[in-house]
Amino acid sequence: MAWTWFHRLASPPHVYGLAARLTPWFAWIAAILIAGGLYGGLVLAPPDYQQGDDFRIIYVHAPSAWMSLMVYTTMAVSAGVGLIWRMKVAHAVAASCAAIGASFTVAALVTGSLWGERMWGTYWAWDPRLTFELILLFQYLGYMGLRSAFDDLQRADRASAVLAVVGVVNVPIIHYSVIWWNSLHQAPSVMQLGKPTMPPSMLIPLLMMFLGFTLLFVALLLVRLRAEILNRERTASWIREAVSP
Amino acid sequence: MLESTSAVSVPIRGPATSALGAAQLMLARDIRLAFRKRGQLIQPLAFFAIVTTLFPLGISPELSRLREVAPGVLWVAALLSSVLALEFLFRDDAHDGTLEQHALSGQSLTWLLFAKTVAHWLLTGLPLSLMAPLAGLSLGAPVGSLGGIVVSVALGSVALSLIGSIGAALTLGVKRSGALLSLLTLPLSMPVLIFGARATELAMKGAGFAPPLYLLGALAVLGVTLAPLAAAAAVRINLE
Amino acid sequence: MSGFLGMGGYAAYVWPSYGLTLAIIILNIVWARRLLARSRTEARRRLAMRGEPT
Repeated sequence: MAWTWFHRLASPPHVYGLAARLTPWFAWIAAILIAGGLYGGLVLAPPDYQQGDDFRIIYVHAPSAWMSLMVYTTMAVSAGVGLIWRMKVAHAVAASCAAIGASFTVAALVTGSLWGERMWGTYWAWDPRLTFELILLFQYLGYMGLRSAFDDLQRADRASAVLAVVGVVNVPIIHYSVIWWNSLHQAPSVMQLGKPTMPPSMLIPLLMMFLGFTLLFVALLLVRLRAEILNRERTASWIREAVSP
Repeated sequence: MLESTSAVSVPIRGPATSALGAAQLMLARDIRLAFRKRGQLIQPLAFFAIVTTLFPLGISPELSRLREVAPGVLWVAALLSSVLALEFLFRDDAHDGTLEQHALSGQSLTWLLFAKTVAHWLLTGLPLSLMAPLAGLSLGAPVGSLGGIVVSVALGSVALSLIGSIGAALTLGVKRSGALLSLLTLPLSMPVLIFGARATELAMKGAGFAPPLYLLGALAVLGVTLAPLAAAAAVRINLE
Repeated sequence: MSGFLGMGGYAAYVWPSYGLTLAIIILNIVWARRLLARSRTEARRRLAMRGEPT
């Protein structure tokens, strides 16, 4: 009985309908949170006593970096579920993740580089976090490249799923090896969220941005998931009802 | 080439042989087959030699400057030539159907692929690590560091072969897979590059290079446990 | 207002960061919606080709 929700998640028409109903909720709450976070970050938060107004880049950089990692994890977990339980919907979720994750990885890289120019006086420093994001971007590109190399959708799903799972094992290894490689680095201020180094007027907008980006990801994922499901369920009879205008 | 392959693959079939026994037979078979195609064996080594020659030409003939970049040059060259060699790992067997026979033989595909990867390392990684000191000398590495270079490249190339076996298995069904194979394998190989280059650097400075070597060893152990499983899953997907 | 836009002289770094991130968000939204719209049209076309009423 406890597993019925799980079994329903394996049913494409159920997921399609659920995604359609849930999308506006996620999208609007994300929009409100991001708008509030932007206002708080740009207007309400005081300038940082060391970095002045530069620190405001954190409100777009840190959530983008969070997205790059969270989306990859989501992709790998759903790919793993797809491999183990042969669940078509899970493969569709994984396939929908890659482009979203890659685009926010680019955002994290570019905003990080702009921030770096202010902090270190150079657009590109081989800083462990930037290097990590760059390697993560390569992993996304590899995943998308592998998917597009197959004509057969099922084979693309399963082969790319193996890569995603291997990739997610690699993520912490890369994380620690780039830190080890470049241990001369300022303390990553964003990662100290638990410690009271940031006053609430700075911290609350940041948390709103984190949550807003996460909900935005869910909304984007749900829309893309519906497209993926329609492409996969070519012959199913429920499609007619789903696409009737 | 076709008939020779199937002739050597016969004893692997049948459940009478144990998984380890089958893996040993596979190892012997792959090495025997590889020596029938010596040209293919030499290619990655020649590539390694050429790449390490390009750097002095591109940077400067001064050994003092080359010495600074030597660990990186050696490792990037080793990484690239090991990726280049990956195309030979499963390709021939996949083309003539031998790989499918192995998958259907009732033997553990994981063990068979592990044996193939070990054979591949013996044929490419090991010669590469024996050649690395030569390239190191040409880049200004002191003679006392050559042993350290051999050890670090040998251990690192184990990890590289294992990581590469996943990429090679994933791209079996892909035509002209060269660029894609590098795109898949290189991000996974970057920790090996980091620790390997560091070990070589410390060896060249005459310092103790054990810590990065342990990390390389850890990566190799992780590779041994996970890579054959992933490669077997990938081969099955591509054979379906 | 000009003080806010000027960001204490750091506008050249803060605004491009926000602009780029918002552009990527909007691009993602447009992209996802276009993907869904295309899949729906495609599905409808397939149904019509089979000679059944859509």
